[in-house]
Formats: sequence, structure tokens, C-alpha cells
Amino acid sequence: MRWFTFFCILFSISLFQSTMMHWVNLGSAVPDLYFPLVVFYSFLADAKRNTIANWFTGLSKDLFSEGSFGINSVFFVAVGFFIWSFREILFRGHLVTQILITFIFSVIYNVLYTIHVSISFHSLRLSTTLWIIFICSSYTAMIVPVLFWIFNKFQPTQKLFFNQG
Amino acid sequence: MRTSTPSFSNLIKNPLATIITLLAISLLLLFLPPKFSNRIKMTCVAPIRPLQWATCFCSNSASNFFDKVISSWQETHGKKDLEQQVLQFKNKLVEQQDTIYKLENKLRILSRLPAENKIIKKNSIPADIIGYDASNFRKSIIINVGTKHGIKTNNIVISDNALIGKVTSVSGSNSVVQLITDPASRIPGRVVQTREQVILEGDGTVFCKLKYVPRWAKLKKGDDIVTSDIGGFYPVSLPVATVVENETKSGALFQSVKVLPRVNISKMESVLVILN
Repeated sequence: MRWFTFFCILFSISLFQSTMMHWVNLGSAVPDLYFPLVVFYSFLADAKRNTIANWFTGLSKDLFSEGSFGINSVFFVAVGFFIWSFREILFRGHLVTQILITFIFSVIYNVLYTIHVSISFHSLRLSTTLWIIFICSSYTAMIVPVLFWIFNKFQPTQKLFFNQG
Repeated sequence: MRTSTPSFSNLIKNPLATIITLLAISLLLLFLPPKFSNRIKMTCVAPIRPLQWATCFCSNSASNFFDKVISSWQETHGKKDLEQQVLQFKNKLVEQQDTIYKLENKLRILSRLPAENKIIKKNSIPADIIGYDASNFRKSIIINVGTKHGIKTNNIVISDNALIGKVTSVSGSNSVVQLITDPASRIPGRVVQTREQVILEGDGTVFCKLKYVPRWAKLKKGDDIVTSDIGGFYPVSLPVATVVENETKSGALFQSVKVLPRVNISKMESVLVILN
């Protein structure tokens, strides 16, 4: 795994997420570019690299968003580790698996995050929030084929498998 | 006899140790006071801001170009400008209406209070939006003015004569603005038509909601919400939002009111920061 490539990808994602993503919004929901990166490394890298990559991804999201610093790193490390722990039972090379796992874990991550926001500010409406979570997760899952193709180009999966030993 | 102590490199090779270390760092960051964590954030992101500004500028320019192409195709040149002017006039009208109500009230009680402060026109700095919040459930923007331009935390930010938020963290040349739609935002407001005191609260969507609206308050769709002088934090009579929907549930103490901010936040490109 090439860390330089990872940081370049992360930098580009942060830049896109914080500047251009609002042009493709559906209501107040925009696709989360960080989450497919978490799933990608959880599927393909070993435990240690996966954890470090997810931690940096979470930290990067924290830097570019309002709110508690470190919360996304905790969630991303937890979600990434969970995906990594059962990835062997999945056919992780298949696109459908990648889309489904991204959708399911994006829902879980968003639910955890909204619980955190609700506890902090008591100002989210349940029905609207659930709807946004569904839209966000679907939107994020929809862009998985494109993002995984790009990630594969820059960080070839064969190399990742090889590095695992 | 040689005793071997685990070195840092050996420790970091252990995945479990890595996870625990990183989670510990995250938790440490999480429990830092907001003042310090905001400072860390602003310092870390400062080198990226010019690039963020450039990307945002390019995307805005591209969007404007496409807008112009579409508008010329529809032969409606200047429609956007006119719409913006109409919006500004409407907001002005709401402000004037609120002032009239206030003046009537003042006449009624025969008090001689000083005239309303119009601080908005003075001490304000225009700023461009250079970035948006990366999270789906928090609503903030990054603007290209900071302490160098005299911006301080809690400065009020407006656009098209309507309130859009307040500055939450500042660095040398950029600042983060917490929008009125952010779940952490609370604004003391007043319904122009019925004079009810309300709290306007963001809920992470494009809408906001009103808290503590009594059941007997006669709110209707289209009623305007302006900032009130309670708390003294926000300038008085700034248009904030319009009522879109209100519902009185049986058994509930207060009405549930959904409001739409006066400004379409997703389409803003520049804002005005009011200095204290």
C-alpha cells in the first residue's frame, strides 16, 4: 500500500467534498466521498493499514466539518475494523457486494453520527433524519462503482492483496 | 541475562495496539475544549484553504457560465438579477414592516426610546464562500475573511439583507460560519405578524423549526420571522425565515412549526459579515 497515493486520494476527496459536492445535492443530502474510501481499504488492506487509513480519513472529515474533532475518526475506525473482521465471508471483489456493504454501513455510520448530534443538540426530527440517512446512504452507494474504479486505478488492489502476505 | 523490552516499532506492528492508540488519540481530541480543537482544525486546514478557494471559484465560475448559457437560451437575460433584487426588496419590506409594528407599539405606550440601530450598513465586510461542511448533518460554510480583516468569533453573517449565521471559528484569513440550519444553531426570533417570541432552531436540513410556539398562536403559512432583541446577540429585525407549515398535535404543549430560511443557502456565493 502506497501511503503517498492514499494521502493524495484523501486530499482530493476532501477538496471535492468541501467545495463541489453541494452542486449535486438531493435536498440537503450530498454523497459522502469519504465512506467508500473506508470500505475500499477495509476490503483490501490488512488490519493495521486499514485502521490507520480509516483513522486519517475520519480525521480529514473532522477537519472539514463543524462539530466535535475526532468523532468521525472513532466511527470510521470502528466501522472499518468491523468490515475488515468479516470480509473473508464476503465476495468482496464483486461490485454488488461493494455497493451493498457501502450502503448498509453508511446507514449504520449515519445513524451513529445522528445519535451523537441528537444527544448534543436535541434538534433533529426523526422522520426527516431517517429520510436523509436513507438518501445519503443510497447516494453514497450509487457512486461506489466510479469511486472504486478510480481507487483501483491509483491504488491497484493486486498490490494490496500482495502486501498482506 | 538479556531482557527485551517491546520497542515502539514492535508495538505499532501489532494491529490491536494500533487501533487502541488511534482510538485513544481520537478520544483525547474529542474531549479537548472546543476552543483548542477549533484552533487545531483551523491551523491544520489553513494551507489547504487557498486551493479550496480556487476550486470553489472555478466551480462557481463554471456554474455561472452554465447558468448564463441556459438563461440566454431561454431569452431571459437578467432574470436572476431581478429575482435577487426582488428577494432583497421583500426582505427589506419585512424589516420595514417589523419596524412599523415596533413604532406603533412605541407610540401606543408613549415611550421615547432611541431609534433602531442600523448597524448592518456600517462595519460590514463582504466575503466569498470558499467551502462547505463535509458532513451531511452539520451545516457550515467557510469564508475567505479572518482575523486579518477584523473578524471575530460570534460576528453575525448576512446575505440579501437576511440572517444566515454566525462566525464560530476564525483563523488568519478565513473563518467558519455556523449556518442557521445547523443543529447547534439557536436564534431568538419574533413572528412579524403575530408578535410571538420564538426560538429558531436548525435541524440539519434546508429547513429550520420554531420552538416554544404556544398552541394559541395564530401562525399561518407565509408569516415572517425576524430576529428579536432578546439576548442582545443578534441585530434586531433581521429577516430570518418564513413559515412553511405549522401543526398543533393533540397533547403537545407547543405547536410544531417548520420554517424556510429567507436565503437559499445552497446557492449563495458571497456573504456580508457584520463586525461588532
